[in-house]
Amino acid sequence: MCSGSPRRLFLKSVLLALCFLTSLIGKAKEAPVSFSREVLPILSDRCFHCHGPDPGNRKADLRLDDETEVKRDRDGLKIVTPKDPAASELWQRLVTEDEEEIMPPLDSHRKALSDTEKDVIRRWIEEGAPWGKHWSFEKPVRPLLSESDKEVNPIDVFVRKRLASEGLELSPPAPAHTQLRRLSFALTGLPPSATVKNHLPTALSQPPTAPEWEKLVDQLLASPHHGERLAMWWLDAARYSDTDGFQGDAERTNWPWRDWVVDAFNRNLSFDQFTIEQFAGDLLPNATPDQILATCFHRNHMTNGEGGRDPEESRIDYVIDRVNTTGTVWLGLTLGCTQCHTHKFDPVSHEDYYRLFAFFNSINEDGKAGTNAVPYLDYQSPLAARSVAEMAAYVEAVKPLEAAARAEAEKRFERWFADTLTKLPHDYTAWESPPPHSVTSVEGTEFIIGKDAIVQATGPHPNQDDYHLTLGASTLPSRITGWKLEVFPHPDHTDGKLSRGKSGEFILTNVKLLVKRRGHSQVRDIEIKGAVADFQREAKAKNYGLVKDTLDDDPRNGWTTESSDPKSPHTAVFELKEPLVLAPDEELVFALLHRSTGGDANIGRFRISTTSEAGETVRSITTSPLEEAIRKKGAIDAALRSRLLAQYLVDDRDYQATLARLNEANRQLAEVKKAEGKTKVMVLAERPQPRETHILERGVWDAKGAVVQPGVLPAILPWPDEQARTRLDLAKWLVSADNPLTARVVVNHLWQLMFGRGLVRSTEDFGLQGELPTHPDLLDWLAVELIENDWNLRHILKLIATSETFRQSSEVSPELLERDPDNRLLSRAPRFRLPSWMIRDNALAASALLNPAVGGPPVKPWQPEGVWEEIFMGRYTYQPSVGPAQYRRTLYAYWRRSSSPTFLFDSAQRRVCEVRMNLTNTPLHALTLLNDTGMLEASRVLADAVSTRGFDPDKALDDLSLHVLSRELTEAEKAVLKREWTKSMDYYSSNPADAILFTRVGQQEAATQEKAPVIATWMTLASMMLNLDEAITHE
Amino acid sequence: MDRRHFLNQTGLNLGAIALGGLINRESSHAAGNAIARLDFPSFAPKAKRVIFLTQSGGPSQLELFDYKPGLMKWAGVELPESVRQGQRLTTMTSSQKQLILPGITKFSSHGESGATVSEWLPHTGSVADELCFVKSMVTDQINHAPAMTKFLTGHQLAGRPSFGAWASYGLGSANQNLPDYLVLISKMKRPSDQPLYDHYWGSGFLPSRYQGVKLRNAKDPVLYLRDPDGLPRERRRGMLDGIGELNAMRLEETGDPEIATRIQQYEMAFRMQTSVPELTDLSDEPESVFELYGPDSRRPGSYAANCILARRLAERGVRFIQLFHPDWDHHSRLPSWCTARCRDTDQPSAALIRDLKLRGLLEDTLVIWGGEFGRGVAGQGKWDSPEAGRDHHPRCFTIWMAGGGVKPGITYGATDDFSYNVAENPVHVRDLHATALHLLGVDHERFSYRFQGLDYKLTGVDPSRVVKEILV
Repeated sequence: MCSGSPRRLFLKSVLLALCFLTSLIGKAKEAPVSFSREVLPILSDRCFHCHGPDPGNRKADLRLDDETEVKRDRDGLKIVTPKDPAASELWQRLVTEDEEEIMPPLDSHRKALSDTEKDVIRRWIEEGAPWGKHWSFEKPVRPLLSESDKEVNPIDVFVRKRLASEGLELSPPAPAHTQLRRLSFALTGLPPSATVKNHLPTALSQPPTAPEWEKLVDQLLASPHHGERLAMWWLDAARYSDTDGFQGDAERTNWPWRDWVVDAFNRNLSFDQFTIEQFAGDLLPNATPDQILATCFHRNHMTNGEGGRDPEESRIDYVIDRVNTTGTVWLGLTLGCTQCHTHKFDPVSHEDYYRLFAFFNSINEDGKAGTNAVPYLDYQSPLAARSVAEMAAYVEAVKPLEAAARAEAEKRFERWFADTLTKLPHDYTAWESPPPHSVTSVEGTEFIIGKDAIVQATGPHPNQDDYHLTLGASTLPSRITGWKLEVFPHPDHTDGKLSRGKSGEFILTNVKLLVKRRGHSQVRDIEIKGAVADFQREAKAKNYGLVKDTLDDDPRNGWTTESSDPKSPHTAVFELKEPLVLAPDEELVFALLHRSTGGDANIGRFRISTTSEAGETVRSITTSPLEEAIRKKGAIDAALRSRLLAQYLVDDRDYQATLARLNEANRQLAEVKKAEGKTKVMVLAERPQPRETHILERGVWDAKGAVVQPGVLPAILPWPDEQARTRLDLAKWLVSADNPLTARVVVNHLWQLMFGRGLVRSTEDFGLQGELPTHPDLLDWLAVELIENDWNLRHILKLIATSETFRQSSEVSPELLERDPDNRLLSRAPRFRLPSWMIRDNALAASALLNPAVGGPPVKPWQPEGVWEEIFMGRYTYQPSVGPAQYRRTLYAYWRRSSSPTFLFDSAQRRVCEVRMNLTNTPLHALTLLNDTGMLEASRVLADAVSTRGFDPDKALDDLSLHVLSRELTEAEKAVLKREWTKSMDYYSSNPADAILFTRVGQQEAATQEKAPVIATWMTLASMMLNLDEAITHE
Repeated sequence: MDRRHFLNQTGLNLGAIALGGLINRESSHAAGNAIARLDFPSFAPKAKRVIFLTQSGGPSQLELFDYKPGLMKWAGVELPESVRQGQRLTTMTSSQKQLILPGITKFSSHGESGATVSEWLPHTGSVADELCFVKSMVTDQINHAPAMTKFLTGHQLAGRPSFGAWASYGLGSANQNLPDYLVLISKMKRPSDQPLYDHYWGSGFLPSRYQGVKLRNAKDPVLYLRDPDGLPRERRRGMLDGIGELNAMRLEETGDPEIATRIQQYEMAFRMQTSVPELTDLSDEPESVFELYGPDSRRPGSYAANCILARRLAERGVRFIQLFHPDWDHHSRLPSWCTARCRDTDQPSAALIRDLKLRGLLEDTLVIWGGEFGRGVAGQGKWDSPEAGRDHHPRCFTIWMAGGGVKPGITYGATDDFSYNVAENPVHVRDLHATALHLLGVDHERFSYRFQGLDYKLTGVDPSRVVKEILV
């Protein structure tokens, strides 16, 4: 604030004082203003930015976050004079008409105070301007309950009390099946299983009684799936991932930590111990491997192994990430800001930040990534063996299929060979060289097409050039599996060698194969799978030599035959990824790129040929086995026969499909076997010699300021320095019974798990800029309850689950919706979309595809082809898991940080810690649920199940609905579904081929010709059901 | 009412309107989460959309734009400390002597503006009179991922919303059948050393509907777009009708407005299944277009084909169109490696400018061409061999802009004689963001989003300015 002229101030004061007098008259007596809940939030939001804890940003040397500063005398002027608004500059500046003086300043982009807010400030001053701390920085005190209230669940007491003050009450209980689904999703992330449903004697006709319900809650809390559900919450908060996140996005094997989390929740490890082990398991006396494993929590941050990066800069980033994660997850504080400067709103200084930083600064790490991200724990997971056994069993199951397919294929081979011998002419050749339609260049080389389709470069001799050779479809075989490039010496070339360039050698940097169609402007890029040559220069890293390097888009490498005899011809053979069949109006363009660094090495004389033979012919420089067999007129020995058979099998689609399945299963078996032995898990360990910690000016990694010692946040809970030296001390401080934040933050998380949103909506921010709790007394009661019950999470979850507040209906009237759109009063249960991971798990469970195994190495659920290749231009390929591993819970899905699973359309990103659900409603997730292979496969399996119910669609519909919605359908609903059933049935009966196609999904074989129309029809219905709002919603 | 009052008031009103729009389109659940305020004072926007031609890896300003003939006499000489001024090097060259490698290309002036452009970019040179070259770009990150993250999100660590997400959040939709922010990545055969992380077009803490949607060169141009084999369109329609009717019954029963939104989103999904393939199918483009964009444009997935797509998206009202062309990280062999990327991008980038102009779209489309940083004047490897390359350099680099209210045919800012430090008119990446937002009608100072109790802006907390000098 800048000061105005005293005279003007005086006049205004008189005027304003008069106004108050009038406004005070006739005003009813109100409850006293709460400083922490009403005044402080206003000051924080509108004033602290310039007049708060951060000296760097402070204007007019005035801070409003400090009582002494606010109330002290400043040359006769006081910011606040208790009981006297007129003599309080704060008040004056809020109500002045002077645009130069009004606060917040008009150009500050901060909202002016509303009349109600101004009223709060005025009344607060009038009431004596009592000071206090921000609400969440005061230790919670258990609110008193009356004797009669002790009979009921205290949660309901607090919620009812609040509702009563608004003239509202709780909604009636939700229908039984809704309660059951809600509870089951909330506690296990899965729909109610048949056993749970059967457990209820009253079935679904009426809400369970209190004892029945309690038993059910206990049963679900004891389920191994409960630990998995809580783990998904914790993994998002811990930014857990299976890869580093930066540069190569290298893989890490920290999944045993994920299993530790599941196990900790399933053991109901108390939250204080859960905290201590994750912060400092390694520092505990006689630490067990599992306690050390727990510390991986603080190593789950991203790591950057980028080539030019200073590892120290990376290391500082990791330490910062740990401090910020601690702030968000345990304290509900946005410490990130204090990395660069003192907090603008909360009482956390720049120095405080680096004192917390010091706790994590002496980890024995050096900022490296990938396989060098020390320190590691060599850990052997007891849960990997199961995965290996499962995959091994799958391999065994596929082996006989492969053998049978091979036997079938061999029979086909015999017939084909006999047939081919009679058909092919005696002078058959595998390679054909039709005369080119045209040969052109980009930079000016000219060509002469000679006899035998040999092309000679002539005329201008540019340093670099691309040659384009075109062949018309009419001159080509009906299908093409590969092509051959022959390079010839010629007397016209330098020294009679292979090129007109200075050295006489050639360098071919890249080749391309394109298909052009007459009358069309666009071309098709044909993928080349591999290349071999009769000779290639040895080359390491990026250099010229290897022929396979002509297949990337990199001019720094490519094929040269330099170092061999330069006067003999050379040959390279290229195999296409898929056999190519050309239409009559198509032509083939071969592009030969000579774009080497030095240049002057363009091919002088060459020929291009094509073949329709697969296998050996396009993978090696040998004579085609078929050609040999024809020459020998079919009199072949065993060796030639086996070459011919191998070539035939490469081309046999049916056999290849089965073989690919076996190969993939074997590959995946080898992969999970690696998880069976010792794996390296990133953990915490202290250096022998601690690092010195400096305040980093502006948060810049190498801008070292003053040296600081470890220390906890004094504004939250002061602890003497000697009590706060190590990570273990920090953990103990976090879970100290006196810490005002942790217990509140944790019960808020639990509330959010059960209700979708916390009692404090800003789960990550309990500071001055965060939201106030909707039910402060309830939050405090639960926090104290947690502490006094030894941080027993299950106790709190059970309290919530057994409350009437949790069990009430989520239906809402338009009036109530208008009055409380955000459901802050809890007069109804919340209704919100399930997180995307739960939607997938629900589909697996509803279709009974779910593989309920717990723990072990990550698995790969279906994702569309190419999702990893796009990010890395082909460095990584995503291969979905085969066999039962495909149907594991989403918790176990492999998480590549640079490309998180596509079917989790709005999940946490796992780059930094996230503690709030992000639920969107977009066309992209509609598309995912409609077309994802996993969802369709679940539909197929559901269709199989219900279509066996015979020919009563009514009954089958109910069956389907019980699987997916846990309830029977209304007549109106059935009418809609029957209508679509009939239409689908009509369509698939007359289009059985489509039915077969549609039913072949995921790992499911196509339905038989006979059954396909019915199954396809039910599949459409199952897919509809899985897409219903009700099916994907916590109701 | 004075100016400040007026701005305050309109700011709030517009904010309220925008907020209303958001809630309608957004899940009410998510909307309640974090939207605290959207002070969105609108100037009259000059640009309605952005096409961002992102050249990933750091193109060399020394070979392409920043002509320094005086450097010849410094060839092979150690870079003076008076120029280097303690500039940090990456660990790739920090142990080698910093010997000066003058730009290895020839330059000539183009058009009436006389802009100097390298022989490696002849087509770009031919449209120089439409372009505004900014030669004094500055960033403060020296490695790829942090620098690109900074270039695209305003902060070096992942987690903030991308520029495109901010734009689509602020401007809203002009096409009900397509997302507002689309991303196109050139299909390359070589494994990339700099992966294109999806946080480059992510929505950070903004609702995820503002994140960029990748248009893929694949069977599914948008993930999950294609109906499964064996499901005819008519059956898909029937299924959606059924889902819609059943959801409407549920809406009736529960009163949850979220269901109404869901019904709409499923309908938009259905429309996208037609509108996206129609958009990505270039067969209705005449031969002359492919001639304009060059031979590579005939190959789907190429940067050139993506440039044609960018124009089609602009025609359809998409707000933010971002192309990525990887592999500009030329630590070695500039004559082969850098030229390869120039050949990929030169003609199509220039063609896009011509094409937009021809169709009257250039005036309200802001086109930006550039990468995350520049390259250093010292040679990497043996400086006098064709094998030499250049290391990363954050202190100066060149980008160009065109259309959308940017002055055509000018060059702004300059570097010192070594193309090492900015000599005049520095433009930090923050200033670029501020300027681009300004052209879109948004005051970067007031365009904020509350997250974790703080008001975040694209331009962050450090000072930034609108570069008024380059505005029409």
